[in-house]
Amino acid sequence: MTKSINTSGVGSAINRVEGHLKVMGKAKYASEFPIENKVYGQGINSTIAKGEIVSIDTSEAEKLEGVLKVITYKNAEKLKTLEGVRPEIATDTIAPVLQSNKVHYFGQYVGLVVAETFEQAQYAASLVKFEYKKDPSAVIDFEKSRSKAYTPDNDSNYSRGNMDQGLAEADMVVEQTYNTPIEHHHPMELHAVIASWDNGKVTAYASQQIIEDAKIAISGTFQIPKKDVRVISPFVGGGFGSKLNLDRHVIMAVMASKMVDRPVQVTVTRTQMFTNTNMRQQNEQKMRVGAKKDGILTALSHETLSHTSTTQEFQEPCGMVSKMLYNVANNEVTYKLIPMNMQTPFAMRAPGEATGSFALESAMDEMAWKLKMDPIEFRIKNDTQTDLHEERPFSSRLLVECLRIGAEKFGWKDRKPEPRTNKKGNWLIGYGVSAASRNSPYQKTHSKVILELDEDKVFATIQMDATDIGTGSYTIIAQTASEYLKIPVEQVNVELGDSDFPITPGSGGSWGAASFCNGARAACENAIKTLKNNRNIAQDEEVAVSELLKKNQLTKFEAEGMAEPSAEFEKYSVFSFGANFSEVWVDKDTGMYRIKRMVNVASAGKILNPKTAYGQIIGGLTMGVGMVLAEQTRVEPNFGNFITRSFADYHVPVNLDLANIDVIFLPEEDKIANKMGIKGIGELGITSVAASVSNAIFNATGKRMRDLPITPEKLIEAGLEEGVTA
Amino acid sequence: MKDIDKWNEAVDPDNLSDDENMILDAMGLNGSSRRKFLKQVSAASLSIYASSFFTSELFANTMKDLPEKTTALLNEIKVNIKVNDMVKPLTLDSRTSLLDALRERLGLTGTKKGCDHGQCGACTVIIDGKRNLSCLTLAATCEGKEITTVEGLAKNGEMHPMQQAFLKHDGFQCGYCTPGQICSSVALLEEAKNGEVSYVTEDLKKVQSGLSLSEEEIRERMSGNICRCGAYNNIVQAFKEVHTGNDEMPTWEFATQEQMDKAKNA
Amino acid sequence: MRPFTYTRANNKEQALQAFTATSHYLGGGTNLVDLMKEDVERPDQLIDVNNLDYKKITSNDKGGLTLGAMLSNSETANNKEVRTNYPLLSMAMLSAATAQIRNMASNGGNLLQRTRCPYFFEVSMPCNKRDPGSGCGALNGMNALHAIFGYSDSCIATNPSDMCVALAAIGATVEVQQADGTSRMIEFTDFHRLPGDRPEKDTTLSQGELITAIHLPKAEFSDHYYYLKIRERSSYAFALISVAAGLQVESGVINKAGLAMGGVAHVPWKLTKAEEFLAGKKPTTENFEAAAELEMKDAKPFEANKWKVDMGKNAIVRALTQAFEREV
Ligand SMILES: Cc1cc2nc3c(=O)[nH]c(=O)nc-3n(C[C@H](O)[C@H](O)[C@H](O)COP(=O)(O)OP(=O)(O)OC[C@H]3O[C@@H](n4cnc5c(N)ncnc54)[C@H](O)[C@@H]3O)c2cc1C
Ligand code: SF4
Ligand code: FES
Ligand code: FES
Repeated sequence: MTKSINTSGVGSAINRVEGHLKVMGKAKYASEFPIENKVYGQGINSTIAKGEIVSIDTSEAEKLEGVLKVITYKNAEKLKTLEGVRPEIATDTIAPVLQSNKVHYFGQYVGLVVAETFEQAQYAASLVKFEYKKDPSAVIDFEKSRSKAYTPDNDSNYSRGNMDQGLAEADMVVEQTYNTPIEHHHPMELHAVIASWDNGKVTAYASQQIIEDAKIAISGTFQIPKKDVRVISPFVGGGFGSKLNLDRHVIMAVMASKMVDRPVQVTVTRTQMFTNTNMRQQNEQKMRVGAKKDGILTALSHETLSHTSTTQEFQEPCGMVSKMLYNVANNEVTYKLIPMNMQTPFAMRAPGEATGSFALESAMDEMAWKLKMDPIEFRIKNDTQTDLHEERPFSSRLLVECLRIGAEKFGWKDRKPEPRTNKKGNWLIGYGVSAASRNSPYQKTHSKVILELDEDKVFATIQMDATDIGTGSYTIIAQTASEYLKIPVEQVNVELGDSDFPITPGSGGSWGAASFCNGARAACENAIKTLKNNRNIAQDEEVAVSELLKKNQLTKFEAEGMAEPSAEFEKYSVFSFGANFSEVWVDKDTGMYRIKRMVNVASAGKILNPKTAYGQIIGGLTMGVGMVLAEQTRVEPNFGNFITRSFADYHVPVNLDLANIDVIFLPEEDKIANKMGIKGIGELGITSVAASVSNAIFNATGKRMRDLPITPEKLIEAGLEEGVTA
Repeated sequence: MKDIDKWNEAVDPDNLSDDENMILDAMGLNGSSRRKFLKQVSAASLSIYASSFFTSELFANTMKDLPEKTTALLNEIKVNIKVNDMVKPLTLDSRTSLLDALRERLGLTGTKKGCDHGQCGACTVIIDGKRNLSCLTLAATCEGKEITTVEGLAKNGEMHPMQQAFLKHDGFQCGYCTPGQICSSVALLEEAKNGEVSYVTEDLKKVQSGLSLSEEEIRERMSGNICRCGAYNNIVQAFKEVHTGNDEMPTWEFATQEQMDKAKNA
Repeated sequence: MRPFTYTRANNKEQALQAFTATSHYLGGGTNLVDLMKEDVERPDQLIDVNNLDYKKITSNDKGGLTLGAMLSNSETANNKEVRTNYPLLSMAMLSAATAQIRNMASNGGNLLQRTRCPYFFEVSMPCNKRDPGSGCGALNGMNALHAIFGYSDSCIATNPSDMCVALAAIGATVEVQQADGTSRMIEFTDFHRLPGDRPEKDTTLSQGELITAIHLPKAEFSDHYYYLKIRERSSYAFALISVAAGLQVESGVINKAGLAMGGVAHVPWKLTKAEEFLAGKKPTTENFEAAAELEMKDAKPFEANKWKVDMGKNAIVRALTQAFEREV
C-alpha cells in the first residue's frame, strides 16, 4: 500500500465535523426535536428517605387547566421489577418506576404530571399532595452506619503475596485514610427524553450514551420486543457516565405517552440531577504502603468502604489502580459497601481510577516525602512492565517516559522539596506530580458504510449506533473512513445515535474511540475488499474507490463490518498511562488557591485527532480540578436529602479556576490493543489529577489534605504535617 | 467559509420540496428523500445527521403556536418578541421564561437550558446589546427589546468570527454550553471596547475604553458560563484570537523520538 | 411556578397603586424568579418596575452620589463616578455573581436578595424564614455556612449580598416610596434586620414600599479600599466570608475606617468596634490584627462553622492590609 496523502485522515488535527452545528446552535439534543403534539411531563420526588406513601391527593392538580394526567403508583402501568436482593446495576438494567408505595430514598420519583405546557406541568406537580409514613430506620449517615457494611458478592477482593510480611520488611510505612465525597456528573445538558408510544412501538429521543443498552432497558422494563423500540440520540450534551444506563424519567415518559396517547417530553431538573441520574458515592479509602529505605515498595493495601443503595448494588473499583500500577509483591485490595437510603450510585468518569488514584497517588507522595526521595524517581523505581494482578504483560506501558518527559516540560527540577519554602508575597507555591493509568477496553462494534458515486466523487456515509457525547466520535469516525477509503473527509457523512444503525458498545469506559473507529475501518475495508473481489482485482492493488465502483458498474454500494478484540488482545493488559503535574499557589491566610499551570503527558495509543484528544484531556483535568476544588454533595443528617441541591451549591470549576495546560502526547501505536493502535483517552485525563493538585498543596503549605474537596476552610483549619517546618 | 453559502441554500425553506418539508415536520430520520438530501449536505461538506441541518428558524416557521385551550389561563400575556430581527407575536402564560419561549414556542433551541436557575450560563442571550440569562427573564418583560440568540449571530451566511474561532480552537466538546459561551463572548467583546471593568481589574479608577483583556480578565469575565466538558482553555484561546486578531497556537504537542529515547534511558 | 398576573408599571404611582399584599415588585428577577420557580416566593402579581425612571446616577446634596434603584448592578459598578469615588462599591459589586446576572440585577433588588440557606430553598424542609413557625432546619442540621453573629434560635441564616457589605462599610441611605406616595429615608444600618423571632422579615421595609434610590455619603475611601471575597471557587460563587475595607489615611494615620463583613450574619455585618479602634491609629499589621480580634471575639459559632472565626480574622487583616497597601 502506498502511503496515504490524505491530510484529513487519522491523526490530523481537523476541526470537528459537526462543530459548525454546535457553534451555530443547530445541533439537536434530545428535548429539541419538534415533535408535533407533544406534551410535557414533570416528575415528582419523594420527600422522605424511607417509608411508605399512605395517601395521595391529586385532585387539585387534576383540576388545573392543561393537566392531562397525574401518574402515581396507583394508576401506573405494571412494569418488570428488579429481582433478588440488591441486584447489581449495569448499563442495560431495567428501570422500573412508580410500581409501589414504598419509598427507598429522598428524591425517588413518586409521580409524574403530564400537561399541555411546561409551566402547567411544573405547577401541577407541586400541587400533588403525598402523605407518608416515615420509617425511622433509614440509613442516611455514612459514619454511623459502618457496622452495616457488607462485602459485595463478587470477586473484587484480591490479594497477592503476604501483606503482613511486606509491611514487616518495610523500613517505612504510610498508613492513611483518604476520603472522597459523593460527586455528581452534572453534564450541562439536563437528562431529557421525548417519548412516544404508538401501537406498542416506542420511539424515544433520549440523551443516552449507549443506544443499544437504552433499547434493551426500555424493552425489558415494558416487556416488549426489542425490535419495537427505537432510541435516537444524535447529540448528547455530556454524560460522564450519568447517561450510560437508562434512568427512570425515560420510562415515565414512555408510560405517560401510552396513557395520554401523545408524545411526552420529560426534562429532568438540575435538582433532580442530584437524585435521579446517578452519582459517584462517598469512598473511604484506607491505604497501607510499605517501602524500603531505597524506595522499593514492599507492601501495598487498599481498603475501600463505600455505599450502595438499599435496592441495587454498585461498587466502584477504587482499588484497581493499586493492583496494577506498581511493582509490589505483597498487595491486598478489599471492598465493603453500606446499603444506604440513597439513589444507586453508578459509574462516573473513570470509575475506580479517578478516586482510587487520589488515594494511591497521595499515599505515594507521602511515602516519597518520608523517604526524602523525589516523588518521580520513587515512582520510576517501582515501575513494572507486567500487570502483576492479571499476571500478563502490558500491551505497552510508557509511564516512565510520561513522568520524565513531563518533568522536563514542567520544570520539575525547580521544585523545592521542602514544603513552605517557595513563597511569593501572600502565596505559598507548590509543585505536585502523580501517575495515571486507565484501563483501555475495546469492544465488539458493528458499522455500515454506504458508498455513493456522484460524477467522479465518492460520498461515503458511515452508520452506527455510537454516540458523540463531546468525545469527538463524529470527527474521528469521519477521519477513519477518509483514511481507509482514501477520500477527503468532506465526502464522508457520519450518522450516529440511532438504534436503527448497527450496534456498538456506545460511549463509556474509554472504549468509544477504539471501538467505533475499528468498526468503521472494518466496514470500509470490507467494502473495498468486496468491490475488488467482485472484479477479480488483487487485494494489494491500489485502486481508487471511485474506480472500483465504476469497474463494478455501481453508483451505490453498501457494506457492513465488525471489529472485535483479537485473541492476542486477551493475552495482554491494555491500559493508557499518563502523568500529571501541577503548580498551585495557596493564599496563606484565606485558604483559597489557584492552579497556575498544569502539564499532562498522555500515552494513549494512536492519537486520532490531537485537537479532540486535547479536548478530552483538558476536560478530564478540569473535572479532576473540580474533585479537588469544591465538588461534593452533602447529605442532610436529619432528613436524608441532599442539602447540595443546585448548581449554586455544587460547585464545578469555572473558567477562572483553570489555567494554562500543556499536553504532550507520546507517539505510540498499540497494535496489540487493536489494528489501528488506539487506546482510550477520555478518562485518562481525570485520573490522578486530584492527587497532583493535593500533592502540590502539600508542597506549598506542608498540609496534607486527605479529604476531598480541599476547600478554603479545610486548608485554614488543617495543621502542618509532622516534620514540616512552619 | 465558502461552504456556508451552499449550506444556506440547502436549508432555504423555499428550495425544499414538499417531500423534504414533510420529513422536516415529522423529523423523519429515514425515508426515501433523505439520501438525496444528504448528498446536498455532503456537497456542502457538512458531514452529519441530516435532520440536524434544518435550521431552527425553519422549525419556527413550521411550528404552530400552541392550541388556544392551553393558553386559556387567567394570566395570558400577549407579547411581541423580537428575536434575531424577526418579530413574533406570541400568546404566553405569564410564567413563561424567555428561555422556554425561545425553545418551546419559537423552536429556537440553540439557546440551552442547563439549570433554569441562573447558575450555569447556558441560556445566555444578548438583549439590547447586553448578555443576559434567558432562564430568569420572563418573556412577558421582553416587549420592545431586541434579542439575539446564537442562531442570529451569523450574518449573510457567514458565521460570526467568534463562532469560527470556537470551531477552529475546539472551544467545546458536547456543545451544550457553546451557544451560551459564544453569546457571552460576543457581548464581552463589546464590554471590553466600552472599557467595562471586572473584579480582577487592577485599577478600577483608571477609566478607559478599548481594553485589551489579559487572560486572567478573560477567564473571570467568562466565568459565568460553565462548561462541564472543561473546554475552558480552548474557549479562552478562541476569545483571545478574535479579541486581539492574533493567531493562537495550540498547547498540545507530540514528544519527539529524541525525548522518548532520553526518557527511556535516563 | 404558581400563576400570577404580570403588571407593567410605567411610573411610581402605577407601581404603588397596583401593589397588593400578595404582590412583588419585579426588578431584574434574578432572585425573585429563581425563588418563584422553587415555589419559595409565591406572589400572585408581579409589578414590573423596570420601566420606572430611577435609572440614573446623580450627585446629591451631601456631596456624594445617588444611585437609581432600577439601574443595573453592572451599569452602577462600571459608572465612571462610582469607580473613581467609590471603587470599594464597584469592586464588591463586581465580585458578585456573573456578568450576565449583574447586567440583569437591579440595585433595589440586590438590597432585597434573600438568603442562600439551602433549607430555605428546599420547600420540603422546615424553615422559619420561608414558612414561619415550621422550625429552623439549619439550627440542628447543616450549618457550616451559617451565621456566627446576631442570629436567633429561629433563624441562623446569612445575608448573601456583596454590594450590601460595601454599602455597610461606606455608609448609605436607602430611599423608599411609601404607599401614600411620600418617600422616606432609611439608614443602611437600619435597613436589614436581625432575625429575632421574625426571620421572615429580612428588612425594615413596610409592605409595598418601593426602593427608588441609594444615597451615598461624600466619598471617603477612594484611595484605600479592598473587597476581599473568600469562596470555594474563584468566581461565580457566594462568599464564605467577605470583608469590605475602606481607609482614609492622612500623614500615616488612619483618619477613618469603613469596615463590614459578609457571610457571617443575617445582615451585612458592620464592624463598628474595629472602625472605632482603628480611627487615629497607624495602619500597621498589629493594629489590623487587634481590630480583627476585637470583632471576632464576640463570634458565637456552631461546631460546624468555627472555621469562620479563624478565617474571619485573617480576612479582616488581609482586607485592611490590601486596602492600605494596594494604593492604585
Ligand atoms: C447563581 C447566582 C449567583 C449569584 N451570586 C451572587 C453573589 O456572588 N453575590 C451577590 O451579592 N449576589 C449574587 N447573586 C444575587 C444577585 O445579585 C441578586 O439576585 C440580584 O442582585 C437581585 O436583583 P434583582 O433586580 O434581580 O432582584 P429581583 O429578583 O427582581 O428582586 C428581588 C427582591 O426585591 C424586590 N424588589 C426588586 N426591586 C425592588 C424595588 N425597587 N423596590 C422594592 N422591592 C424590590 C422583589 O420584589 C424581590 O422580592 C447571585 C444570583 C444568582 C442567581
Ligand atoms: S437558618 Fe433561617 S433560612 Fe435557614 S432554615 Fe433556619 S430559618 Fe430557614
Ligand atoms: S439555564 Fe439559565 S443559567 Fe442555567
Ligand atoms: S461543551 Fe459540553 S459543557 Fe461545554
